[in-house]
Amino acid sequence: MKILVVEDEIIMLKTIELRLKKDGYTIIVSEDGRDALKKIEEFDMDLIITDIMMPFASGLEIIEAAKKRVGKTIPVIVLSAMGQENVVLEAFQLGADDFITKPFSPNELSMRVKRYIPIAV
Amino acid sequence: MCNPFFIIFLNITPAQFINILYAFLLMLLLLFVIILGFTIYKRRLGRQTKLWQESIVMLISESIFISDEDEPVDVANKYSKLMQIGNFRQCLINEIITIKKGLSGASTDNLVKLYENLSLNYESYGKLKTGLWHIKAKGIQELALMDQKKYVKEIFKLTNDSNELVRNEAQCALICFYGFSGLRFLNVTVYPISQLQQIQLLNALYLVKGENFEAIKRWLHSANESVIEFALKLATFYNCYQVYDDVIKIIQNSNLQIKLSALAYLKNLPREDSPLEIIKTYSFESKTYKLAILDTLKIIGNEEQVPFLLEQLQDEDDDIKSAASKSLSQLHPMGAAFFQTHVFADQLPWKNIFLQIMNERAA
Repeated sequence: MKILVVEDEIIMLKTIELRLKKDGYTIIVSEDGRDALKKIEEFDMDLIITDIMMPFASGLEIIEAAKKRVGKTIPVIVLSAMGQENVVLEAFQLGADDFITKPFSPNELSMRVKRYIPIAV
Repeated sequence: MCNPFFIIFLNITPAQFINILYAFLLMLLLLFVIILGFTIYKRRLGRQTKLWQESIVMLISESIFISDEDEPVDVANKYSKLMQIGNFRQCLINEIITIKKGLSGASTDNLVKLYENLSLNYESYGKLKTGLWHIKAKGIQELALMDQKKYVKEIFKLTNDSNELVRNEAQCALICFYGFSGLRFLNVTVYPISQLQQIQLLNALYLVKGENFEAIKRWLHSANESVIEFALKLATFYNCYQVYDDVIKIIQNSNLQIKLSALAYLKNLPREDSPLEIIKTYSFESKTYKLAILDTLKIIGNEEQVPFLLEQLQDEDDDIKSAASKSLSQLHPMGAAFFQTHVFADQLPWKNIFLQIMNERAA
């Protein structure tokens, strides 16, 4: 199960990566939107976790790209900061499946991910 | 009259002029060398930080997910060499704080443990002892974000520091530690709380539950005018009905900012007598406050204030006429249609004012 995590804060990216790797997922990371868009085309993802505010391409553009991808509907979880309600609504309109507000518990994120792509025990 | 500098300039010999020119060029060169040196230092530090980042990221992310059953790792010993470098320690603190802001739950407890195990709390505390305000403010911020309540005594003292930014950080830190009860610094603060700081404090209280409204009552009678103003904002923010009578008395205050905050409270939590209370002293007020009263009436007024508002249409000032007309369009039983019936409806400036209001309403 491949998950793309897009987050511009390296320390946050690494933390999410480590937590989800513990669950047994394969994690592909991206530090900016433009790179993430390339990776969406390059790899066959099962889920995308993306921050909203990022350099080069925003989380919204990533959702659009993920949802337009022919052949497979990829679930998207949005990471938002407090006070970004409007952007979250926009993300839902574009097809985001879920969101989690920072600060969040890595365990909560792990549970949400499992809802979309359960790990085979 | 000639410029004295020009006279001095004319009186110098060519040799003196060359000396001055040399001195100027030397200063310019010195400045260039300093800027160059600083840029090289910053670049080197940036490169070094990038090299450290990998170890820092590993160190932090491993610590976040450590559970009680896991074998403890002696991080202080493992990173002892790097920990001797001041810039590395600062870089580590910055990263710990960045990740702490983004996470919640048990992982943040592990981050605090890591911060303490590496004695970074002493590093932050040490900043409180420096004479440089920006370092002091940074130290306070770090201790607050890392839940270091044990330093609250020192931080509390700094809520009355002579430097505004240090005070601000210390005040926000207390809210960060204790929520609403952290506002107890308002009992003793002697310096004014700036408008920006009031916004920052309210922002820090955004998700904090209000309690102890008796304290708000006390702050409404503070000797520090900015505390009164902030207490009014708190009362509005927390919908504190208990202080209504105190707010009504405050309307008589001489400070405009306080009066405007009191009006904002009444706009939010009006009672039946509020419109009458706010127009009691209307004729003695400044233009700014008169306009604020007329605007408030638009929200909390009723038909009883129509005669008062009609009177204001005769005011010499066009802004007052306009504000009164706007309120009338809301409170008059005929609504905006009242303008057509008014005796001055076709005369200037009423004609323009009425037309503007009609257009605004149509938009």
